[in-house]
Amino acid sequence: MDVSEILAEHAAKQQAVVVEKEIPLEVDAGFLTVTDPNPIDEESYKADLEDYLMSTARDGVQTLIATLFSLPITSSQDGPLAQLPPPTTQLPRAKPLPKPKPLTKWEQFAKAKGISHRKKEKKTWDEEKQEWVDRWGWKGANKKEEVQWLTPIPANADVDFDPAKKVRDERKARVEKNQKQQEKNVARAQQSGSTSAPAPPTAQRKREIDRTVATTRMSTASMGRFDRKLDGEKKLKGIKRKFDPTEVSSQAEQSQNMAILSKLGREPETKKSRTSSEVLNVRKAVRFASKGKGSAALARDANSKKGKKVKR
Amino acid sequence: MSKARKPKNARSKRVLLAREPKEVEDPRTAIFVRGTHTGETVAAVMKELMALKRPHAVSFSKKNAVRPFEDASSLEFWANKNDASLFIVGQSTKKRPNGMTFVRMFDNRVLDMLEVGVENFVSMNAFKTPKSTPGHKPLMHFASELFDTHPRFQQVKSLLLDLFNGEVIDAIHLAGLEHVISVTLSPTPASMSATTPQATATLGGPAAPDAASSDAALPMVHVRAYTIRLLSSGTRIPRVELAPMGPSLDLRVRRHADADAEVLKQALRRPKVKKQDIESGLGKRKKNLEVDDMGDLRGRIHVAKQDLGKLQTRKMKGLKPGRDVDAMDVDGTDHEGEGDEDAGDRRKRRRT
Repeated sequence: MDVSEILAEHAAKQQAVVVEKEIPLEVDAGFLTVTDPNPIDEESYKADLEDYLMSTARDGVQTLIATLFSLPITSSQDGPLAQLPPPTTQLPRAKPLPKPKPLTKWEQFAKAKGISHRKKEKKTWDEEKQEWVDRWGWKGANKKEEVQWLTPIPANADVDFDPAKKVRDERKARVEKNQKQQEKNVARAQQSGSTSAPAPPTAQRKREIDRTVATTRMSTASMGRFDRKLDGEKKLKGIKRKFDPTEVSSQAEQSQNMAILSKLGREPETKKSRTSSEVLNVRKAVRFASKGKGSAALARDANSKKGKKVKR
Repeated sequence: MSKARKPKNARSKRVLLAREPKEVEDPRTAIFVRGTHTGETVAAVMKELMALKRPHAVSFSKKNAVRPFEDASSLEFWANKNDASLFIVGQSTKKRPNGMTFVRMFDNRVLDMLEVGVENFVSMNAFKTPKSTPGHKPLMHFASELFDTHPRFQQVKSLLLDLFNGEVIDAIHLAGLEHVISVTLSPTPASMSATTPQATATLGGPAAPDAASSDAALPMVHVRAYTIRLLSSGTRIPRVELAPMGPSLDLRVRRHADADAEVLKQALRRPKVKKQDIESGLGKRKKNLEVDDMGDLRGRIHVAKQDLGKLQTRKMKGLKPGRDVDAMDVDGTDHEGEGDEDAGDRRKRRRT
C-alpha cells in the first residue's frame, strides 16, 4: 500500500496552518497576544504597506490561534471554553494589592485558642408555631419571652416587676454592648491601618489628661481656692513626700554615703569645666582665626587662596 | 480620603466596595478627554478607539483645559471620581498637531504618560466589511524587535495591551474571537539598530530636552484592526484569514513620562500564589512535589547514599573485630612479632 500520497496530503494541510519564521513568535496566551520579534522587511514594507501589514498580522494570528486551539477545553453552558494559562507579560496594576483585613478582637482570640468558626442558620424551628422563624429581627425568636402572654415571676418580686421589660432591657443591653465592640474593632483597624503614628496607649493618654486638668485647676488667680466646684470633682492631690525607711541594710547605707562622699570630692560640673578637659577649645580657635566670621568664611578664604596660587 | 468617607446608604456602600482594590483586577476603564482644541482627526480617532474599548469607556465630550505633562491634577481627580485608570487626552496645537496622550494611573496617581501624533487615519466606515461585535475581546499582535528592546516601544506595547486586553481571564470561548488589533512598526532605522537607544538614559523627565531630536528618528507605529475568518484546514487548527475592519492609524511617538521606579515596583507586585495553584504547577513550585496522571500529589524524599560497609549483618563470633588480627597473623609472616604483641595486648585489655 502506498501511503506517500496520504502523507503528502497531510503535509499540505499542515502547511496551511504552520508559520515558519526566522525567530519564533512569542505567544502570551493569557493576554491573547502574540509578539513577532523578527525585524521588519524593508523591501516588502515599501512595496505595499497595507499588504505587508496584513500578511505579518496573519502569520502572527495564525500562530496565536494554533496555540489557543491546542489549549485544554472545558464545556460550559455557553459552549466549549479554552482554559487560558496565566499571562506572562507583566502589566502594572491599577490599584495596589488589597491589604489583609485586620482581625477583630474575637477573631484574634479565636485564632489564639484554635476556635473554628461555626456558621449559624439564620432561621430556627419554632415548635409552637410549627414553622421556621428568624433568629432575630422582626418577629425574631430572641423576642419570644417578651411577647408571650404568661411569664412566671419569682415569689419575692416587687409589685411593679415587669418580666417582659426586664428581658427587653437585657436584650437592648446586649445589642449596645455588641455595637460598642464593633466600634472598637473599627477604631483598632483604622489605627493599625493608618500610616501616621499610632495614638498613645490609654493609660498614658489618661495620665496626660489628668496632668492638664490639674494644671488648669491651679492656674486661676486664687490658685483654684475660690473656684466653683463641679459635680463629682475630686480634691486635687499634691505630691506626697516620701521618706526612706529608717532602718536599711548596712550595705545600702554604705553605698548611699559613699555616693555623697564621691560627689563632695569632685569639682563642680559646669560648662567650662567640661570643655577644659580638651587641650584646644576649637570653637574659640575658629572664632579667633576667622576674626569672628565663622568656620564657613575661613574655609572659603583658604580655598580662594589656593585657587590663586594655581593660576599663577 | 475615600476610606474616611462613610457610605450613607446601601447603594453607595456597594459602589465603594466595588472600587476597593482587588486581587484580580477589573479591566481598566478608559476616559476619552477632549482638550481645548481637538480637531476633526483626533476626535474621530478617539471615537473609534472608544468603539473598540466599549463597554469600559467613558467619553468626556466637553472641552477641557488639561495638559497632562504640565499638571495632571485634574486627571487624578477624574480618576478618583470615575474609578478610571486610563486616559486618552486629545489635543491639537500648532506645535503638536493631532496629539493624543495616553495616561495610565496607579492608585489614582499618574503612573506613566505617552504622547503620540496621529499622522494618518482611516475610519472604520471607509472599509465596507463586517465589523466585530462590541464588547468582544480582541487578539493582539505586535510586530517588531523594538517591542522587546526599546523602552519607548515597550511602553507603547504595554499601554495598548492595557487599553484593549489588560484583563486577566481564565477561559475564553474560541468562537467569540472575532478581531485582531495589530501593531507594527516601520523598519528600524540604521542608527537605532546599530547602537543601543539613547532614550534609555533619559529617564522620567516629562519633556526631556533631547527627546524631540531622538523621537524624530523613532519608527512609525501602524495600528490596524482586522476581522478574523477561521477556515477549516482539515486539521484541528483552523486556517486564519484576515479582512481589514478599521480603524487604521499611523502614529508617531512624541513626548513621554516614564513611571517612577518605586511606584512601578509597587504597581508590578503580584498577589501570593495560592497553595492549590502551586500544586497544579503555578508559580514557584516545590521541588519535590508532583501531581501524577491520576491527579494525586506525590512527594519525593531525599535518601543519602547508603554506606554498605557499615551494614550490620548477622552477628557471629568469628566476625568480631578482635579476631581480625589473628586472621592477619596467619598470612602476615614478616611482622610476626609486632602482630603477636598487639594481639596479646588486646587480649589482656579485654581480660582486665
